[in-house]
Amino acid sequence: MGIETYIIYGLTIILLIISLIKSKEKTMLGIKKGIKAFTKIVPVLLPMFLFIGILLTVVTPEFISRLLGENSGILGMSFGLIVGSITFMPPFVAYPLGVELLENGAAYPQVAGFLVTLMSVGIVYFAAESKFFSKKAAILRNVVSFIGALIVIVIVMVMF
Amino acid sequence: MKMILKNKFLALSIIALIIISIIDIKMTYTAIDNTWNQLFTMLLIVPPIFILIGLFDVWIPRETIIKLMGEKSGVKGMALAFLLGAFSAGPTIAAFPLAMVMLKKGAKYSNVLFFLMVWSSLKLPIVFFQITTIGLKLSTIINLTMLVVFILGALISEKLLSKDELQEIETKALNYHKGN
Repeated sequence: MGIETYIIYGLTIILLIISLIKSKEKTMLGIKKGIKAFTKIVPVLLPMFLFIGILLTVVTPEFISRLLGENSGILGMSFGLIVGSITFMPPFVAYPLGVELLENGAAYPQVAGFLVTLMSVGIVYFAAESKFFSKKAAILRNVVSFIGALIVIVIVMVMF
Repeated sequence: MKMILKNKFLALSIIALIIISIIDIKMTYTAIDNTWNQLFTMLLIVPPIFILIGLFDVWIPRETIIKLMGEKSGVKGMALAFLLGAFSAGPTIAAFPLAMVMLKKGAKYSNVLFFLMVWSSLKLPIVFFQITTIGLKLSTIINLTMLVVFILGALISEKLLSKDELQEIETKALNYHKGN
Protein backbone atom coordinates (compact mmCIF):
# COMPACT_ATOMS: atom_id res chain seq x y z
CA MET A 1 0.00 0.00 0.00
CA GLY A 2 1.35 3.40 -0.96
CA ILE A 3 2.43 6.15 1.38
CA GLU A 4 -0.50 8.32 0.28
CA THR A 5 -2.84 6.04 2.21
CA TYR A 6 -1.06 6.82 5.46
CA ILE A 7 -0.97 10.54 4.65
CA ILE A 8 -4.68 10.71 3.90
CA TYR A 9 -5.57 8.75 7.06
CA GLY A 10 -3.28 10.98 9.13
CA LEU A 11 -4.75 14.13 7.65
CA THR A 12 -8.32 12.92 8.16
CA ILE A 13 -7.68 12.01 11.79
CA ILE A 14 -6.06 15.39 12.51
CA LEU A 15 -8.91 17.31 10.85
CA LEU A 16 -11.50 15.16 12.60
CA ILE A 17 -9.95 15.97 15.98
CA ILE A 18 -9.85 19.71 15.20
CA SER A 19 -13.43 19.52 13.98
CA LEU A 20 -14.54 17.67 17.13
CA ILE A 21 -12.90 20.26 19.36
CA LYS A 22 -14.64 23.08 17.52
CA SER A 23 -18.09 21.52 17.28
CA LYS A 24 -19.32 18.03 18.01
CA GLU A 25 -22.64 18.54 16.20
CA LYS A 26 -21.04 19.84 13.02
CA THR A 27 -18.54 16.97 13.04
CA MET A 28 -21.31 14.40 13.36
CA LEU A 29 -23.24 16.10 10.56
CA GLY A 30 -20.09 16.04 8.41
CA ILE A 31 -19.51 12.35 9.01
CA LYS A 32 -23.16 11.65 8.24
CA LYS A 33 -22.88 13.61 5.00
CA GLY A 34 -19.71 11.77 4.07
CA ILE A 35 -21.33 8.40 4.65
CA LYS A 36 -24.36 9.48 2.62
CA ALA A 37 -22.15 10.57 -0.28
CA PHE A 38 -20.37 7.22 -0.06
CA THR A 39 -23.54 5.11 -0.07
CA LYS A 40 -24.70 7.02 -3.15
CA ILE A 41 -21.58 6.03 -5.06
CA VAL A 42 -21.59 2.32 -4.11
CA PRO A 43 -24.26 1.18 -6.62
CA VAL A 44 -22.11 2.66 -9.38
CA LEU A 45 -18.87 1.24 -8.00
CA LEU A 46 -19.77 -2.41 -7.67
CA PRO A 47 -20.65 -3.15 -11.34
CA MET A 48 -17.69 -1.00 -12.40
CA PHE A 49 -15.21 -3.01 -10.38
CA LEU A 50 -16.68 -6.26 -11.62
CA PHE A 51 -16.19 -4.98 -15.16
CA ILE A 52 -12.61 -3.89 -14.47
CA GLY A 53 -11.87 -7.24 -12.84
CA ILE A 54 -13.01 -9.07 -15.96
CA LEU A 55 -11.15 -6.66 -18.22
CA LEU A 56 -7.87 -7.14 -16.37
CA THR A 57 -8.24 -10.91 -16.76
CA VAL A 58 -8.00 -10.50 -20.52
CA VAL A 59 -5.71 -7.47 -20.59
CA THR A 60 -2.76 -8.95 -18.70
CA PRO A 61 0.76 -7.43 -18.57
CA GLU A 62 1.85 -10.14 -21.06
CA PHE A 63 -0.95 -9.13 -23.41
CA ILE A 64 -0.01 -5.44 -23.21
CA SER A 65 3.66 -6.32 -23.60
CA ARG A 66 2.89 -8.15 -26.85
CA LEU A 67 0.86 -5.22 -28.18
CA LEU A 68 3.44 -2.57 -27.35
CA GLY A 69 6.46 -4.66 -28.29
CA GLU A 70 9.52 -3.72 -30.25
CA ASN A 71 8.86 -2.22 -33.68
CA SER A 72 5.13 -2.06 -32.99
CA GLY A 73 5.12 1.44 -34.52
CA ILE A 74 1.91 3.39 -35.10
CA LEU A 75 -0.16 0.29 -34.46
CA GLY A 76 1.56 -0.18 -31.09
CA MET A 77 0.91 3.47 -30.21
CA SER A 78 -2.76 3.13 -31.11
CA PHE A 79 -3.05 -0.04 -29.02
CA GLY A 80 -1.29 1.68 -26.15
CA LEU A 81 -3.71 4.62 -26.30
CA ILE A 82 -6.79 2.40 -26.62
CA VAL A 83 -5.84 -0.09 -23.91
CA GLY A 84 -4.77 2.76 -21.63
CA SER A 85 -8.07 4.57 -22.18
CA ILE A 86 -10.23 1.53 -21.48
CA THR A 87 -8.42 -0.07 -18.58
CA PHE A 88 -7.91 1.18 -15.10
CA MET A 89 -4.96 0.32 -12.89
CA PRO A 90 -3.70 1.76 -9.63
CA PRO A 91 -0.51 3.80 -10.25
CA PHE A 92 1.62 1.50 -8.12
CA VAL A 93 0.75 -1.27 -10.57
CA ALA A 94 0.83 0.87 -13.72
CA TYR A 95 4.28 2.48 -13.47
CA PRO A 96 6.24 -0.69 -12.64
CA LEU A 97 4.41 -2.25 -15.58
CA GLY A 98 5.62 0.67 -17.72
CA VAL A 99 9.19 -0.07 -16.67
CA GLU A 100 8.71 -3.76 -17.40
CA LEU A 101 7.37 -2.92 -20.85
CA LEU A 102 10.37 -0.69 -21.58
CA GLU A 103 12.78 -3.38 -20.39
CA ASN A 104 11.04 -5.91 -22.61
CA GLY A 105 11.81 -3.72 -25.59
CA ALA A 106 8.67 -1.62 -25.95
CA ALA A 107 9.40 1.83 -27.36
CA TYR A 108 9.12 5.00 -25.24
CA PRO A 109 6.28 6.71 -27.19
CA GLN A 110 4.06 3.60 -26.98
CA VAL A 111 4.62 3.23 -23.26
CA ALA A 112 4.19 6.98 -22.62
CA GLY A 113 0.88 7.04 -24.50
CA PHE A 114 -0.29 3.97 -22.63
CA LEU A 115 0.63 5.36 -19.20
CA VAL A 116 -0.86 8.81 -19.80
CA THR A 117 -4.21 7.48 -21.01
CA LEU A 118 -4.19 4.86 -18.26
CA MET A 119 -4.06 7.61 -15.65
CA SER A 120 -6.13 10.36 -17.22
CA VAL A 121 -8.65 8.81 -19.61
CA GLY A 122 -11.22 6.64 -17.89
CA ILE A 123 -13.73 4.97 -20.14
CA VAL A 124 -14.74 2.72 -17.23
CA TYR A 125 -15.64 5.84 -15.27
CA PHE A 126 -17.72 7.17 -18.11
CA ALA A 127 -21.10 5.97 -16.87
CA ALA A 128 -20.44 7.31 -13.39
CA GLU A 129 -18.94 10.55 -14.65
CA SER A 130 -21.92 11.21 -16.94
CA LYS A 131 -24.25 10.62 -14.04
CA PHE A 132 -22.36 12.97 -11.74
CA PHE A 133 -21.74 15.81 -14.20
CA SER A 134 -23.16 15.30 -17.68
CA LYS A 135 -22.40 13.20 -20.72
CA LYS A 136 -20.91 16.14 -22.57
CA ALA A 137 -18.75 17.12 -19.59
CA ALA A 138 -17.46 13.55 -19.29
CA ILE A 139 -16.67 13.42 -23.01
CA LEU A 140 -14.85 16.75 -22.85
CA ARG A 141 -12.66 15.73 -19.91
CA ASN A 142 -11.69 12.46 -21.56
CA VAL A 143 -11.06 14.07 -24.95
CA VAL A 144 -8.81 16.73 -23.42
CA SER A 145 -6.78 14.04 -21.65
CA PHE A 146 -6.58 11.96 -24.81
CA ILE A 147 -5.27 14.95 -26.79
CA GLY A 148 -2.71 15.43 -24.02
CA ALA A 149 -1.57 11.83 -24.51
CA LEU A 150 -1.14 12.43 -28.25
CA ILE A 151 0.98 15.51 -27.59
CA VAL A 152 3.07 13.58 -25.05
CA ILE A 153 3.72 10.88 -27.68
CA VAL A 154 4.95 13.46 -30.18
CA ILE A 155 7.25 15.13 -27.64
CA VAL A 156 8.61 11.78 -26.45
CA MET A 157 9.34 10.81 -30.07
CA VAL A 158 11.36 13.98 -30.48
CA MET A 159 13.15 13.78 -27.13
CA PHE A 160 14.07 10.09 -27.03
CA MET B 1 -33.39 5.23 -17.18
CA LYS B 2 -30.50 5.44 -14.72
CA MET B 3 -31.42 2.02 -13.38
CA ILE B 4 -31.35 0.51 -16.85
CA LEU B 5 -27.97 2.08 -17.56
CA LYS B 6 -26.56 0.72 -14.33
CA ASN B 7 -28.00 -2.69 -14.98
CA LYS B 8 -26.70 -2.62 -18.54
CA PHE B 9 -23.18 -2.29 -17.21
CA LEU B 10 -23.82 -5.10 -14.76
CA ALA B 11 -25.50 -7.19 -17.47
CA LEU B 12 -22.51 -6.70 -19.76
CA SER B 13 -20.18 -7.87 -17.00
CA ILE B 14 -22.28 -10.93 -16.29
CA ILE B 15 -22.43 -11.85 -19.99
CA ALA B 16 -18.65 -11.44 -20.19
CA LEU B 17 -18.26 -13.62 -17.09
CA ILE B 18 -20.37 -16.37 -18.65
CA ILE B 19 -18.39 -16.21 -21.89
CA ILE B 20 -15.00 -16.47 -20.15
CA SER B 21 -16.36 -19.24 -17.94
CA ILE B 22 -17.15 -21.26 -21.06
CA ILE B 23 -13.69 -20.56 -22.51
CA ASP B 24 -11.79 -21.24 -19.31
CA ILE B 25 -13.22 -21.40 -15.81
CA LYS B 26 -9.83 -20.39 -14.40
CA MET B 27 -10.28 -16.98 -16.02
CA THR B 28 -13.51 -16.52 -14.08
CA TYR B 29 -11.70 -17.11 -10.81
CA THR B 30 -9.01 -14.63 -11.85
CA ALA B 31 -11.68 -12.08 -12.79
CA ILE B 32 -13.43 -12.39 -9.43
CA ASP B 33 -10.07 -12.25 -7.68
CA ASN B 34 -9.18 -9.08 -9.63
CA THR B 35 -12.52 -7.50 -8.78
CA TRP B 36 -12.04 -8.27 -5.11
CA ASN B 37 -8.48 -6.86 -5.13
CA GLN B 38 -9.55 -3.63 -6.85
CA LEU B 39 -12.49 -3.25 -4.52
CA PHE B 40 -10.35 -3.90 -1.47
CA THR B 41 -7.73 -1.33 -2.53
CA MET B 42 -10.52 1.15 -3.11
CA LEU B 43 -12.25 0.46 0.20
CA LEU B 44 -8.97 0.96 2.01
CA ILE B 45 -8.42 4.50 0.78
CA VAL B 46 -11.95 5.75 0.23
CA PRO B 47 -13.42 6.09 3.77
CA PRO B 48 -11.17 8.99 4.85
CA ILE B 49 -11.84 10.75 1.56
CA PHE B 50 -15.57 10.70 2.24
CA ILE B 51 -15.07 11.88 5.81
CA LEU B 52 -13.06 14.79 4.38
CA ILE B 53 -15.83 15.50 1.87
CA GLY B 54 -18.34 15.61 4.73
CA LEU B 55 -16.16 17.91 6.84
CA PHE B 56 -15.55 20.13 3.81
CA ASP B 57 -19.30 20.40 3.25
CA VAL B 58 -20.03 21.28 6.86
CA TRP B 59 -17.16 23.64 7.65
CA ILE B 60 -16.31 25.58 4.51
CA PRO B 61 -18.85 28.35 3.84
CA ARG B 62 -20.10 28.93 0.33
CA GLU B 63 -18.79 32.51 0.39
CA THR B 64 -15.25 31.24 0.97
CA ILE B 65 -15.34 28.93 -2.03
CA ILE B 66 -16.93 31.57 -4.24
CA LYS B 67 -14.15 33.95 -3.24
CA LEU B 68 -11.33 31.41 -3.62
CA MET B 69 -12.52 29.35 -6.58
CA GLY B 70 -15.54 31.16 -8.01
CA GLU B 71 -16.14 33.04 -11.25
CA LYS B 72 -13.77 35.87 -10.34
CA SER B 73 -11.03 33.80 -8.73
CA GLY B 74 -8.77 33.92 -11.79
CA VAL B 75 -5.27 32.48 -11.58
CA LYS B 76 -5.53 32.04 -7.81
CA GLY B 77 -8.57 29.81 -8.26
CA MET B 78 -6.70 27.62 -10.70
CA ALA B 79 -3.68 27.47 -8.40
CA LEU B 80 -5.87 26.35 -5.53
CA ALA B 81 -7.56 23.76 -7.75
CA PHE B 82 -4.09 22.48 -8.65
CA LEU B 83 -3.00 22.24 -5.01
CA LEU B 84 -6.17 20.43 -3.98
CA GLY B 85 -5.75 17.94 -6.82
CA ALA B 86 -2.02 17.47 -6.30
CA PHE B 87 -2.23 16.87 -2.54
CA SER B 88 -4.74 14.10 -2.84
CA ALA B 89 -4.90 10.35 -2.95
CA GLY B 90 -7.26 7.79 -4.33
CA PRO B 91 -8.81 6.87 -7.64
CA THR B 92 -10.42 9.51 -9.85
CA ILE B 93 -13.89 8.20 -9.04
CA ALA B 94 -13.43 9.29 -5.42
CA ALA B 95 -12.77 12.81 -6.70
CA PHE B 96 -16.23 13.10 -8.31
CA PRO B 97 -18.17 13.57 -5.05
CA LEU B 98 -15.57 16.09 -3.87
CA ALA B 99 -15.90 17.97 -7.16
CA MET B 100 -19.65 18.01 -6.55
CA VAL B 101 -19.19 19.70 -3.16
CA MET B 102 -16.98 22.34 -4.78
CA LEU B 103 -19.61 23.01 -7.44
CA LYS B 104 -22.34 23.14 -4.83
CA LYS B 105 -20.36 25.76 -2.91
CA GLY B 106 -20.02 27.94 -5.99
CA ALA B 107 -16.65 27.02 -7.48
CA LYS B 108 -16.14 27.84 -11.15
CA TYR B 109 -16.63 24.82 -13.40
CA SER B 110 -13.27 25.18 -15.14
CA ASN B 111 -11.53 25.18 -11.75
CA VAL B 112 -13.36 22.05 -10.67
CA LEU B 113 -12.57 20.36 -13.97
CA PHE B 114 -8.92 21.33 -13.66
CA PHE B 115 -8.93 19.90 -10.13
CA LEU B 116 -10.34 16.61 -11.47
CA MET B 117 -7.73 16.44 -14.21
CA VAL B 118 -4.87 17.13 -11.80
CA TRP B 119 -6.28 14.53 -9.43
CA SER B 120 -6.38 11.95 -12.23
CA SER B 121 -2.73 12.24 -13.21
CA LEU B 122 -0.68 14.80 -11.31
CA LYS B 123 -1.11 13.72 -7.70
CA LEU B 124 2.18 14.46 -5.93
CA PRO B 125 2.66 11.11 -4.16
CA ILE B 126 2.15 9.43 -7.52
CA VAL B 127 4.51 11.84 -9.28
CA PHE B 128 7.30 10.84 -6.87
CA PHE B 129 6.56 7.19 -7.46
CA GLN B 130 6.46 7.88 -11.20
CA ILE B 131 9.94 9.47 -11.15
CA THR B 132 11.45 6.56 -9.25
CA THR B 133 10.01 4.06 -11.73
CA ILE B 134 9.96 5.50 -15.26
CA GLY B 135 12.67 8.11 -14.63
CA LEU B 136 12.90 11.88 -14.34
CA LYS B 137 13.07 12.68 -18.05
CA LEU B 138 9.95 10.79 -19.13
CA SER B 139 8.08 11.92 -16.01
CA THR B 140 8.94 15.56 -16.63
CA ILE B 141 7.79 15.41 -20.25
CA ILE B 142 4.52 13.72 -19.29
CA ASN B 143 3.71 15.97 -16.34
CA LEU B 144 4.63 19.32 -17.87
CA THR B 145 2.75 18.52 -21.08
CA MET B 146 -0.33 17.34 -19.21
CA LEU B 147 -0.27 20.38 -16.92
CA VAL B 148 -0.41 22.75 -19.89
CA VAL B 149 -3.04 20.62 -21.66
CA PHE B 150 -5.16 20.49 -18.50
CA ILE B 151 -5.07 24.26 -17.96
CA LEU B 152 -6.06 25.01 -21.54
CA GLY B 153 -8.45 22.04 -21.69
CA ALA B 154 -10.32 23.09 -18.55
CA LEU B 155 -10.77 26.66 -19.80
CA ILE B 156 -11.84 25.57 -23.28
CA SER B 157 -14.20 22.87 -21.97
CA GLU B 158 -16.07 25.44 -19.91
CA LYS B 159 -16.49 27.63 -22.98
CA LEU B 160 -17.84 24.65 -24.91
CA LEU B 161 -20.59 24.10 -22.35
CA SER B 162 -23.59 26.40 -22.56
CA LYS B 163 -25.03 28.33 -19.61
CA ASP B 164 -27.89 25.81 -19.39
CA GLU B 165 -25.53 22.85 -19.44
CA LEU B 166 -23.41 24.37 -16.66
CA GLN B 167 -26.58 25.14 -14.71
CA GLU B 168 -27.70 21.53 -15.08
CA ILE B 169 -24.39 20.29 -13.62
CA GLU B 170 -24.72 22.70 -10.72
CA THR B 171 -28.23 21.47 -10.01
CA LYS B 172 -26.95 17.90 -9.90
CA ALA B 173 -24.27 19.01 -7.44
CA LEU B 174 -26.92 20.62 -5.22
CA ASN B 175 -29.00 17.46 -5.27
CA TYR B 176 -26.04 15.19 -4.56
CA HIS B 177 -25.06 16.93 -1.36
CA LYS B 178 -28.44 18.14 -0.19
CA GLY B 179 -28.78 20.68 2.59
CA ASN B 180 -26.57 23.37 4.06
